[in-house]
Amino acid sequence: MNKKIAEPVVEVQSLVAHYGSCEVLHGVDLSIQDGEIMVIMGGSGSGKSTVLRHMLGLNTPTSGVIKLLGQDITHISASKMDALRRNIGVSFQGGALFNSMTVGENIALPLREHTQLDEKTIRIMCRMKLELVNLAGFENLMPAQLSGGMVKRAALARAIIMDPKLLFFDEPSAGLDPVVSAELDELILRIRQAMKTTIVVVTHELDSTFRIADRITVLDQGNILMVGAIDEVRNSKNKRIKDLLERRAREIKIDAEEYLNRLTGETG
Amino acid sequence: MTYKITQYAGYSVIHLEGDVDLSTSPNARKIILECIEAKNNVLVDLSGVDYIDSSGVASLVEGYQLAKSGNTEFGLVNVSQAALDVLQLARLDTVFPIHLSLDAVAKVAKEPG
Amino acid sequence: MLRYIEKIGRATVGSIEELGYASSLLAESFYWIVFGARRGQAVSVSATFYQMLQVGIAAIPICAALSFAVGIMLAIQGINTLKAFGAESQVVVGIALSVTREFAPLIIGILIAGRSGSAIAARVGTMQVSQEIDALRVIGISPVRYLVVPALLAMIVMVPTLTFFADIVGMFGGAFFSVLELDISMQAYIDRTIKALVVDDVMQGLWKSVVFAVIIAIVGFVNGFSVSGGAEGVGKATTRSVVQAISLIIVADMVFTFYLNH
Ligand SMILES: Nc1ncnc2c1ncn2[C@@H]1O[C@H](COP(=O)(O)OP(=O)(O)OP(=O)(O)O)[C@@H](O)[C@H]1O
Ligand SMILES: [Mg+2]
Repeated sequence: MNKKIAEPVVEVQSLVAHYGSCEVLHGVDLSIQDGEIMVIMGGSGSGKSTVLRHMLGLNTPTSGVIKLLGQDITHISASKMDALRRNIGVSFQGGALFNSMTVGENIALPLREHTQLDEKTIRIMCRMKLELVNLAGFENLMPAQLSGGMVKRAALARAIIMDPKLLFFDEPSAGLDPVVSAELDELILRIRQAMKTTIVVVTHELDSTFRIADRITVLDQGNILMVGAIDEVRNSKNKRIKDLLERRAREIKIDAEEYLNRLTGETG
Repeated sequence: MTYKITQYAGYSVIHLEGDVDLSTSPNARKIILECIEAKNNVLVDLSGVDYIDSSGVASLVEGYQLAKSGNTEFGLVNVSQAALDVLQLARLDTVFPIHLSLDAVAKVAKEPG
Repeated sequence: MLRYIEKIGRATVGSIEELGYASSLLAESFYWIVFGARRGQAVSVSATFYQMLQVGIAAIPICAALSFAVGIMLAIQGINTLKAFGAESQVVVGIALSVTREFAPLIIGILIAGRSGSAIAARVGTMQVSQEIDALRVIGISPVRYLVVPALLAMIVMVPTLTFFADIVGMFGGAFFSVLELDISMQAYIDRTIKALVVDDVMQGLWKSVVFAVIIAIVGFVNGFSVSGGAEGVGKATTRSVVQAISLIIVADMVFTFYLNH
């Protein structure tokens, strides 16, 4: 019961973000509890990837607070950030495997860079993770020799090699067939079960979302529409959420004159 | 992490205590491998282990392999649920000889054959 | 008119920004070289050696061929020009000085900019597009320490080394032609070259080449890291890095020569 009282693992407060002069996030609040699987869902261009990049410290916010594992990453020294990053794993949308290294070297890189473990231990750990993601025996292949689904799984293996407390996963099922994507979801659930990892998944796949989520955050045009359990989101009366769930195209009201001006490039 | 080695029914029992993680597992590995290299039958007692990560499990795997190649015995005792979860994730629960308690080991050891 | 001014303004701001970025890259590289080990992120020696192999050893044949050709070219031009004054034999001094001070560093600089500077931009640009750079940062590996420093160090070591090598091959090329044309012995040519050259001449060329090395590496990385927009962006950055590096090398060479000869 003290889970509720415990400090959230991820806490985002009134995050505002710009690309150039264009504001893409208008004050996002988010709080993710220990051991929870939080899915951040939303249509294309809603700002999911942008939120993720800020949580990873890859982009600097215009304003707002981002706390990971209790530390505010917007005001943190570089060495503390390095230390924090050892507890965080990330699996990128395209895998982002290093193309110049074998699969095994990719997975071992965080260990080789950050630990003094024996080479034998490192090799066993890599093979264990490869077994876990069903890629046993592929450690000597180059990333270019893998299929899309295999790249995703190898990227997951690299993300969890240090047994992180917090795992970020960008679009686990994008571009995969339904069977492979269901397997990946299964894997995410098993990792949480065994390692008590807090997992943040960014996706627009509904099936996947409903399989793995404890709670869902729905993002729309840079704002949070709602945060809730699967059923709460399913039963939501909000029109935009309903559209998203029923995969309906956005209704766009046409203002005839304005539309005409847009096409011809006249202003006013 | 701390450790203590006792003798029990022909086994050297390594009691590990505390967290076995990236920073402490090299030490645990050294202890386990040294014990096996000295031709002992080794049991690793995990009852005092609060947390074990994959580097710890990898050290156990390496120990088991070394014991097999040296024809000595190796097993785990008092594996907590948390540790078992980690072993299960890598499907290693079916690989290691896992004993419920030291008494259980002694019983098996006494039986002839 | 206003649009032009705006365009020029934007380009100026852009290049100042780029200059700032380049200096910060350079500063950060020195930070990692000095403090890397203390922060638990030492610069990888093996990566540096690998880069040296790529930048330096692999370039030896082409460097040899080009500097030999330049040596011959200088000999032909020199002998022809000096003939008018009946001073053909002075060609030895001319070749020795112009190869060591000017041609060897310049040829090597341009060659390495085309060969390795472009490779840096392409490699880093591709890594940027495929999010490999993001992955490095997220793992807690500084891309500057991991990618920039080994390549920068390799350049700083190998470009002067290649330049020294080009000094020798270039002068040998000049000797080869002169011996045939002027009817002097190889031994006499070498003796006169050694008499004509002072250490400063060679050092002047080598110092230049160190500056060229830094230019090539930093320009390659600035362009690589700034890639956006897929494969096309990588291609653009690669071309841009070669053009920029060669232009900067020539300008730097001019400035250098001006100051060193005053
Ligand atoms: N590098 C960039 N430069 C400028 N604008 C950007 C950039 N990246 C994203 N944007 C804009 O920011 C908004 C949010 O984009 P974001 O990539 O976060 O959306 P998303 O929810 O991840 O969409 P998708 O599901 O298509 O990946 C979009 O309007 C997009 O045009
Ligand atoms: Mg996205």
